[in-house]
Amino acid sequence: MENKITWETDMKSALAWARKEGKHIFLDFFNPG
Amino acid sequence: MDVVTYPNAEVVKFIQENTIPLRVPFDAKPLSSEFNIKWTPTLIVLDPDGKERHRIVGFVSADELIPSLLLGMGKSYFEQDRFSEALLSIEKLLREYPKSSAAPEGIYLRGVCRYKSTNNPKPLKEAYEQLKDQYPESEWTKRAYPYRLIN
Repeated sequence: MENKITWETDMKSALAWARKEGKHIFLDFFNPG
Repeated sequence: MDVVTYPNAEVVKFIQENTIPLRVPFDAKPLSSEFNIKWTPTLIVLDPDGKERHRIVGFVSADELIPSLLLGMGKSYFEQDRFSEALLSIEKLLREYPKSSAAPEGIYLRGVCRYKSTNNPKPLKEAYEQLKDQYPESEWTKRAYPYRLIN
């Protein structure tokens, strides 16, 4: 297990993974500062 | 979130095992417009088809993020009439995070899921009674108030 979150950065890629694995997407709109 | 919440080992494990984590800047077009983002952080649970099911605006501590995500998943399954899966998420929320801010809504939603899956209204009254005893000031206790009349 990674000791940090491995984020997707592209919605299309995230949706493809979510559909393949039957998981929800946790979407974080953040302020990169 | 980057300093306190996301480095938490329990948070990392839960998010990696149970979700597809996606992070985008608040002003990234067209997503920021499509989701009407006005403040950061805005945290959203989407179902696998990309439909929004749960939203949190503002900082969330490590102790609160996992129960909120469990609630979001429970709401998602509920809205898709997948009551047994909704109940699994909600039961985990209530068993492992009973003092979280998400717990009162979880109790309410559990009662509704049990009612919808059995047509027995008794779980609605049980939800109200539990809310009244444990969270008398919660908005979810007020929303469940009519269920006190169920026989």
